[in-house]
Amino acid sequence: MASTQNKSDSKSEAKQQPEQQQPTEQKKAAALEEDDEFEDFPVDDWAAEETEAAADKTAQHLWEESWDDDDTSDDFSAQLKEELKKVESSKKR
Amino acid sequence: MSLLVEFLSSIRRFVLEQNGDELRKWLLVENNVPDIYFQLARELKTSFPANSNSVENLVDNCLPEENDVPESRGSPWPGFNSFMKEYLEYWRDADFSNLVKVHARLSDLLNSCANALANPTYGAMLLQTSMSLSEALSKLVMGLTRQPELLSQIQGGIGLLGEEGNEKKSIVELAADIIQKIFTSCLTDRSSTRWQPPKGKKVAVYLFANLTLKLLFACDKSRLAIQMFTNLSTSGPALALYPASQRVTFLYYLGRFNFDQGDYWRAHQAFEAAYLQCPPQFMKHRRQILTYWVPTNLLLGRFPSLALLQRPEAAGFLDIFLPICASIRRGNFVDFHTALFLSRDWLWAKGFYLTLLYRLKPLVWRSFTRRTFLLAWQGSVGGGNRASVPTLSFQDMVTTATYVQKQLEGYTPAPKRAATAGLPPKQPQRKLQVNPLFMKAVTNSSTAAAEADGGGDSLVPPPAGPRFLMPSEGLIFGNKRPDVKNIEAVIAGLVYAGLLNGFIARRQGAFAIEGAKRFNGDPVKAGWPVPYESVMERFKESWQDAVAAYESGESPDPPGEFEDVPGWVKGDMFSRRD
Repeated sequence: MASTQNKSDSKSEAKQQPEQQQPTEQKKAAALEEDDEFEDFPVDDWAAEETEAAADKTAQHLWEESWDDDDTSDDFSAQLKEELKKVESSKKR
Repeated sequence: MSLLVEFLSSIRRFVLEQNGDELRKWLLVENNVPDIYFQLARELKTSFPANSNSVENLVDNCLPEENDVPESRGSPWPGFNSFMKEYLEYWRDADFSNLVKVHARLSDLLNSCANALANPTYGAMLLQTSMSLSEALSKLVMGLTRQPELLSQIQGGIGLLGEEGNEKKSIVELAADIIQKIFTSCLTDRSSTRWQPPKGKKVAVYLFANLTLKLLFACDKSRLAIQMFTNLSTSGPALALYPASQRVTFLYYLGRFNFDQGDYWRAHQAFEAAYLQCPPQFMKHRRQILTYWVPTNLLLGRFPSLALLQRPEAAGFLDIFLPICASIRRGNFVDFHTALFLSRDWLWAKGFYLTLLYRLKPLVWRSFTRRTFLLAWQGSVGGGNRASVPTLSFQDMVTTATYVQKQLEGYTPAPKRAATAGLPPKQPQRKLQVNPLFMKAVTNSSTAAAEADGGGDSLVPPPAGPRFLMPSEGLIFGNKRPDVKNIEAVIAGLVYAGLLNGFIARRQGAFAIEGAKRFNGDPVKAGWPVPYESVMERFKESWQDAVAAYESGESPDPPGEFEDVPGWVKGDMFSRRD
């Protein structure tokens, strides 16, 4: 699978998608408006104690590694289950 | 005494005192300077016209080389005088309404400054000036890259030929080259070793590295940083010896470089170190790091915790990343495309859109195959016939995949049948899972495909026919309906990536799960290992391959430790003495 960001391809794909839900997008864009520059720090140095690097790492829960969802009672699962049943029974007929 | 002579006398005094700070304060180049610089320019224009060597004579007269210089004192040196001549000519010819010309003269001036800085005895006093001139040139170049007309004037000008004489370098590359020249001068300074607290020009190694990186990233030229990282790995001083602000900035750019290269494990390490060393009060910086660190971890198969997304520096990220994570968790392709689409502008602006679209798809497939197995599997955990291997039928996968493909094409539940299809009573009229945005899109005029699938008829095509899908929008490729061969190929890919654990049982037309016994007979745990662990396992394997290739002489480059990130000089400053 290609992963290199080909801007022209993506733009043409993205343009295929119709415009809708503007209010949500505008709100989000406002919340996320920012420039991409990593500014110079106002101070040169600081003590390690002021940072999280010094804190107990086990106390931090930053990433979820086991995120599987075994619940099959949601809509999506119900639809898939129904489809499997339907195709199975059509084979038996 | 003329203003010029007065100016040069002061410069001489600072040189004798080796006062780098004052030199920087006096040797200004931008147009927001006190009027006295413009008076200086007028005097230069009047008394020292172009095409004469009178400026050079003036500089040499005012800045004579000293004899018998006591320690702790300095002296002008030929390289410094050349730089000063260039500096005065810069002001004489300065025309800030002509940025093309300013760019050319400032580039020459910085080059001259880099040459003067290279002097092993006194060069270090020009460190601060080199920095301020480099910053000024970077700022100018970054501004020029946003003005195509001016840019084309410069690119069409002289002096832009590459070393081979035919390849033109961009102004970003040219500026980065000059700043890297200063960086190299600092890197090769012998005042201190790699593992000792930096002295002399070595104190500025990471300042110039960061400035170069800032310029390259601002102009989308990050790949050019590779040479600098290689040089640092070879002879750079340990990063830990430098102030926190320089460490964090460097690690941020190192993370971004590795992200751009697709090396997410290295990118994660750099971002983690940058984020954890950046105190909470620098929220903007932490946010900037997090912006890249979160997608990095998604691509490693880890989701940001709610606790992380609720931190102040992550404001707004929850709305973007939570739906993406939820769709991956459920293996729901429609939700996945919708989640990416709704945050498209932001994801696109940051350069994440396509990377996430293509690189997260295998994770969605993983969850989707898992879900299909959970729904179709007839056995029970720990029970059943010990001899039989739990399998996921390709035909079942074709059924569920076809259903999802139709959803992507805009199919909706057949109204009557949906009400009697055994869905939970509260949901017969539920809203379609299909994003309405998809529905309005360009549609395929042919409805033949709608009839040709042969699957269940619980979905009906949209009135205008199935939606035309771009290649990346379909499950397999655009509107291609998944068949057994496609499913087999997808599953083989997931097994190869380590995201599924088992083998393809061709005769049975199924994916057979291996090692359920090790998980108390739980085929789901056995067949679908934790993605992050699988991804890391693959990174480790490729590193082990590199070690083996080095040991057998196949590769000349030692791969280092698994945790090594090229360019990041970790080093143990207390035990190493080389």
